[in-house]
Amino acid sequence: VREYLLDQAPWYVAGPLMALVVLGLLLTVGERIGVVGGFSSVVERATLGRPLGWKAWFVGGVLVGGLLFSLLAGHWRVHEQYFWLQHRFGAAGVAPLLVLGGGLIGYGAKSAQGCTSGNGLGGCSVGSPASFVATATFMATAVGSAFLWRWIF
Amino acid sequence: MRLRAASFGFGIAFGFLLAWTQLAEPRVIRQMLLLQSAYAYLIMASVVGISFVVIRGIGRLRLRAALTGMPIVLERARPARRHIVGSVLFGLGWSVTLACPGPIAVQIGQGFFWGVCTLAGVFVGIRAYIWNEQRSARESVEAGPATVSA
Repeated sequence: VREYLLDQAPWYVAGPLMALVVLGLLLTVGERIGVVGGFSSVVERATLGRPLGWKAWFVGGVLVGGLLFSLLAGHWRVHEQYFWLQHRFGAAGVAPLLVLGGGLIGYGAKSAQGCTSGNGLGGCSVGSPASFVATATFMATAVGSAFLWRWIF
Repeated sequence: MRLRAASFGFGIAFGFLLAWTQLAEPRVIRQMLLLQSAYAYLIMASVVGISFVVIRGIGRLRLRAALTGMPIVLERARPARRHIVGSVLFGLGWSVTLACPGPIAVQIGQGFFWGVCTLAGVFVGIRAYIWNEQRSARESVEAGPATVSA
């Protein structure tokens, strides 16, 4: 099992399985897949005292899913390096850049009403025009800026 | 209760798949964004392609969600400025951290310490957004109903 899991899953296996997750959530819970909403639910619980929604349970599951994978594969990432950031900005530069990048992700995904899963997977699957626009925008921005970072740094 | 359990279970499946596809690894996302590998795009396209066709097929059946009994509503929002501005910010954050919200949760589950820094940033960003929303809601109330736009 370990060797099998340590090889990257073929896309034609993992893709349809992820589609089952998207469809399963829609058919049982009646909701569109999304991750940033779960983080938001945690923030709203902590700062506004609102109850945790199903999205928070979904995100908790995602974290446990990663944990379960590492248990089964015997592969933990405790010592893994953030190679591209560390290479360019040194170990001390990594944490502030990650917090800054994370801030953009949180603020941006809330504004756009979805992240890669919410707009990219869930919203596009139901044919939402807003999600098509959002997905095209963040894909183009991420690809463009990735090339820009490589060119500058 | 059943709703939470189902969400949690689907979350586990999703997180497991994100780990197995290595999409929670910055190295893989960097290859994706620098167009050195088609893998992540094939995953996204197959997930959306399959789900889109199935949803189209069952859309006419007017199904109800199995656990709530409520009709399944397929929200199809119209594009607005917020989707573009938000997604530009999101894309910039994504290309710096090489992680988006799903993979960040997986990273923490897999013991990748740096994911905690990214998640801290995400929490700050969400808090800032909520604060901003509350402020503009207050301002529109103070300004009176005449200036409240639809």
